[in-house]
Amino acid sequence: MAMKQIALYGKGGIGKSTTSANLSAALSERNLDILQIGCDPKRDSTRMLMHGRFIPTVMDLVRERGDTGVTLADVEFRGYNGVRCVEAGGPEPGVGCAGRGIIATFQLLEKFGALNGDVIVYDVLGDVVCGGFAMPMREGYAQEIYLVTSGELMSLYAANNICKAIKRLASRSTGKCRLAGVICNAKGQPKEEELVGEFALRVNSSLIEYIPRDRVVQLAELNRKTVIEYDPASPQAARYRSLAKRVMENTRLTIPTPLEIDELETLAYSFI
Amino acid sequence: MNLKPSPTHSSRAGGCTLTGALSVTTQVRDAVTVIHGPKGCAHHNFSLFHATSLDNGRVAVPDLVSSSLTESDIVFGGEEALFRTLQAVSERDISAIFVLSTCVVDTIGDDVDAVCNRGYPVPVLHIPTAGFLGGTFQDGVNKALMALSRQARPSVAGSTVNLVGEKNLEYEVDENYAEVTRLLSHLGLTAGLRFVHDIGFDDIETLGSARLNILRDRSLLPVGEYLKDRFGTPYIPAFPAGLSGTLDFIGTVATACGIDGSRALEIERALQAEVLADFADIGESEGFFSGLVTDPESAGAAYETATALHIQITSDAEAPHLPVQPVVGTGGVRRLLHRWRRSLHA
Repeated sequence: MAMKQIALYGKGGIGKSTTSANLSAALSERNLDILQIGCDPKRDSTRMLMHGRFIPTVMDLVRERGDTGVTLADVEFRGYNGVRCVEAGGPEPGVGCAGRGIIATFQLLEKFGALNGDVIVYDVLGDVVCGGFAMPMREGYAQEIYLVTSGELMSLYAANNICKAIKRLASRSTGKCRLAGVICNAKGQPKEEELVGEFALRVNSSLIEYIPRDRVVQLAELNRKTVIEYDPASPQAARYRSLAKRVMENTRLTIPTPLEIDELETLAYSFI
Repeated sequence: MNLKPSPTHSSRAGGCTLTGALSVTTQVRDAVTVIHGPKGCAHHNFSLFHATSLDNGRVAVPDLVSSSLTESDIVFGGEEALFRTLQAVSERDISAIFVLSTCVVDTIGDDVDAVCNRGYPVPVLHIPTAGFLGGTFQDGVNKALMALSRQARPSVAGSTVNLVGEKNLEYEVDENYAEVTRLLSHLGLTAGLRFVHDIGFDDIETLGSARLNILRDRSLLPVGEYLKDRFGTPYIPAFPAGLSGTLDFIGTVATACGIDGSRALEIERALQAEVLADFADIGESEGFFSGLVTDPESAGAAYETATALHIQITSDAEAPHLPVQPVVGTGGVRRLLHRWRRSLHA
């Protein structure tokens, strides 16, 4: 099968890393070769796959040794069920340019020939604040973009903004990235699934999975594991497996139609 | 957000702020200029200054040091690279360091001021020169002059006349200086500090002690105003341009200094008559203006010179090309006429 490259974008704190790690874990159970790349200077994307370990980041090693002193073995680590984990890393908060760090990481991973396997999962910083964080959407990388959002307005607002970035990149002659679907990582508000489902339709996409709020996510995290590993029989683990199945079967890739802010507010208001 | 539009009117598109500032700082003999940015920003400027000084008959190697930022410095911030560079440079036997910032370090937000204030054996002056913020070459010159002028000590007016903002990259910088000092000497005045051309860092201390400042041209008015505010020094806004401009200049300087300029005017009028007589052979000819025709001062001086010799200026580009260029003083007119003669006799 052709390699699948997917990227998860969404508001900071919405659960992209938790969703990504559980998705990668669930995909690995389908006997697939999975590579998860954390594209956030906070470097905690793969931590649950690595049983709590903060792995050395590409940028840290480049800073210490220069890019000629770094090999693939230095930056790629095997986590739960063989999932390969890479963290881009980046500067300390408040200095330098994290976006350039993402670009540099991608160039280095290209050089290593590391971008292979059955599925690559890119877990990207909350907002597409500059060109660097749009890197995973560019030609040759993730073609399928998933938005992670709850039913909260600010979260939908961020997701809508990311639709704008996808639309812009898709309109380029070389642009191949498309919106693949919306993942509702629920906060537990009423009619949340319906709201996010309607939002997905309005931006010319579909709700790919509804993940309810569940205490087991926090328990798994405190035990430094994904839910898939910590409580494989739980309903929540089943949700992540369902997400994995739908991602693998999904062929509906669209150019999104972002909403105006007042449309978005009216939509959220109608689901109170 | 800086909303200053990039200049569109200039034939040289405004130029680079960094290069403008360097044209000033590299003229301080015992100081080093650190360019905080990638190596290339230092390299192309180094080449420019080296080549220009060669053209002016000097072998001068500008003392430029780059903080040599690489991609990882951009990702993680360039402050440590600057700190290491300043530590190394400040151990040399020098009087001061000027730190000039480049586009990329202002993009990523390096706190250059903070690094410059970390304490070094020599004074470290930061001159912000990121060009993408809409600044021009001239802005760089002005910023550097203002930054350097802060080193001046409070002082009372003395007897000398300072020259402010000489164009160190123009080919005739030395000839223009000689011309202005010649005119001053006829008025019994002596040129003092060349701010800034081939001086020592400590010389700047005396900046406030001039009786008069003469600016190279009107784009330096903010610098002239600053020095006037701070030291009370009056200023002349530009070097003399062309025949009548030179006579006006003598009158203006004399008035500003409260001296009698009539003898100096007499000498100059006689010299101008002599120069025109020397070029009588190209009188009554016809030519086409080329070169700096869009600069009103240069064009005005050229028209005036042509008129004095009854040279017809045609719009026919097939006619011999008479270059229009900055003309400082009567000596500048003489050099201009030499070029015209070569063109007309070619």
